[in-house]
Amino acid sequence: MRLVPTLSGVTIIATQALTKTYGGGVTALSDLTVDVDAGVIGLVGANGAGKSTFIKIMLGLIAPSSGGVRVFDLDPVAETDKVRARVGYMPENDCLPPDVSAAEFVTHMGRLSGLPKTAARERASEALRHVGLYEERYRQIGGYSTGMKQRVKLAQALVHDPDLLLLDEPTNGLDPAGRDAMLNLVQRIGNEFGISVVVCSHLLGEVERICDSLIAIEGGHLLRADRISAMTAASDVLVVEVSEGQDELAAALSEKNLRVSKDGRLLLVPLDSETAYDQILQAVADLDLPLHRLDQRRHRVAELFTTKKETADV
Amino acid sequence: MSVVELQNVSRWYGNVVAVNDISMTLQPGVTGLLGPNGAGKTTVLHMMAGFLSPSKGAVTIDDKPTWRNPSIYRDLGLVAEREAVHGFLTAREFVTACARLQKLPDPKAAAKRALEMVEMTDAQDRRIDTFSKGMRQRTRVAGALVHEPKVLLLDEPFNGMDPRQRMHMMELLHRLGDHGHTILFSSHILEEVEQLSGLVQVIVAGRLAASGDYRRIRRLMTNRPHVFAVASSDDRRLAVALIGEKSVSGVEIEATGLTVRAADYGSFTRALPRIALGEGIRLRRLLPSDESLESVFSYLLEA
Repeated sequence: MRLVPTLSGVTIIATQALTKTYGGGVTALSDLTVDVDAGVIGLVGANGAGKSTFIKIMLGLIAPSSGGVRVFDLDPVAETDKVRARVGYMPENDCLPPDVSAAEFVTHMGRLSGLPKTAARERASEALRHVGLYEERYRQIGGYSTGMKQRVKLAQALVHDPDLLLLDEPTNGLDPAGRDAMLNLVQRIGNEFGISVVVCSHLLGEVERICDSLIAIEGGHLLRADRISAMTAASDVLVVEVSEGQDELAAALSEKNLRVSKDGRLLLVPLDSETAYDQILQAVADLDLPLHRLDQRRHRVAELFTTKKETADV
Repeated sequence: MSVVELQNVSRWYGNVVAVNDISMTLQPGVTGLLGPNGAGKTTVLHMMAGFLSPSKGAVTIDDKPTWRNPSIYRDLGLVAEREAVHGFLTAREFVTACARLQKLPDPKAAAKRALEMVEMTDAQDRRIDTFSKGMRQRTRVAGALVHEPKVLLLDEPFNGMDPRQRMHMMELLHRLGDHGHTILFSSHILEEVEQLSGLVQVIVAGRLAASGDYRRIRRLMTNRPHVFAVASSDDRRLAVALIGEKSVSGVEIEATGLTVRAADYGSFTRALPRIALGEGIRLRRLLPSDESLESVFSYLLEA
């Protein structure tokens, strides 16, 4: 593993009151101000919240209506070439030509980024190896599975050795094994190669798993930008799960003057003092129940999208 | 209350066997249909919906065959994976048309009710081609639900939906399942299946690899030790005590706590509270590390 100096704390993307209004009066982004530090960043939001618009603006594909955006302290509209040299983009939709091989396609994309012929070929070979495409790379893309196509899209985003990757729904259409492989790959790119990654995803569990920080957009506004660890902090509620005898345990805990509530298979007990741990354990041992889980309940990113009353602090 | 049943069902396309001798019974409630790409999930759903004849065996809903039996559509709703809705219709027109196809006595009222159920009332008069993926998906669910079928089949219903839409769809399916509908949905996102229902049917390479509550399936894999993450007030002393317990096959000490491997789930989970109390150690955390649907699924694929 190559050791890379940590980049955290370095601002890579900064927006100032960024607003984008399309013709016809549709406001996709409104007054978005956010600073993004290096790392693996999740970008989440409802469909139509403005994620795609944000990505297109960062790539310099469209200009903001008002406000400003800086990527690596460059203006994507005025200095499009410089920004694109440092940014790799993996689009969401199926956009690969079916009748060329992955090796040819990724080499071609490398040349478009300005690499000389031999360098492009070498870099393409490297990028394809990183994403785990070996002998298959000489076959035509049309015959690839969804997972292989996603890997090709990722390889072409990596071919010019960017400092920032923008991935739009990289796990779309993948089965569990493919998803797992793709997530590990994204995490490796962030941690080992030292490339910052912005991942657009609808799957909050994925974001929790691989991202360091998160930007949530809703209706073009910033809903929250924070580190994942801050959003999944432990709450002062204990979760107890037993494989059987849940009702007996609930009754026994109530007798010990603990305020027990039930949530599906889980029992929730407020952690007022450390003795709650011992009381629970004693109750479980007295009833001779199989203890499956005992932990402080964690906040979840999904709480961003639920109403207040459903948060962990029941 | 309807029961969907497959009895020794196989389906082949030429020499390709897509589904190989599957028997399963679906009871009212929500069941997840899982499997890698190409395992035969869609073929199974299509046979249940009467789009494909089984090459061998019988597919029935309440003992009535689904193949060449249009009357089953009174009790059956299907949301297919591929979208085929007319973009020039409004949501209300589309759902009303579905209601007319079912010859419902009051198609307008039925459409209104179905659109309310999927929370599309506000957008019902917009053309479908102006909708987001999640809105289209909900409109299609409304179309499939309009005649209040007892059985609802959904192929990848969560594809392309955002978090809020997913949660909403999950609640909807939960509600329908609690009301006695028989619901089968296929999905790749194991977390979703885990939240929605513990009941799964797992298909691997055309065969039924497992069926039932995934937690129970995990208990049946006795050849795999159960892994737990444990943290306590004195990890090292707890490790010493645990290794003396017969059901424990290994303990590792790590920076954040212990990783305990238990050969016998039942005796370990009963012994741990006793041991910790006996040693006077405060148990702060016990987390099962490989009990999630994700790990159960990967174990099934390896087997």
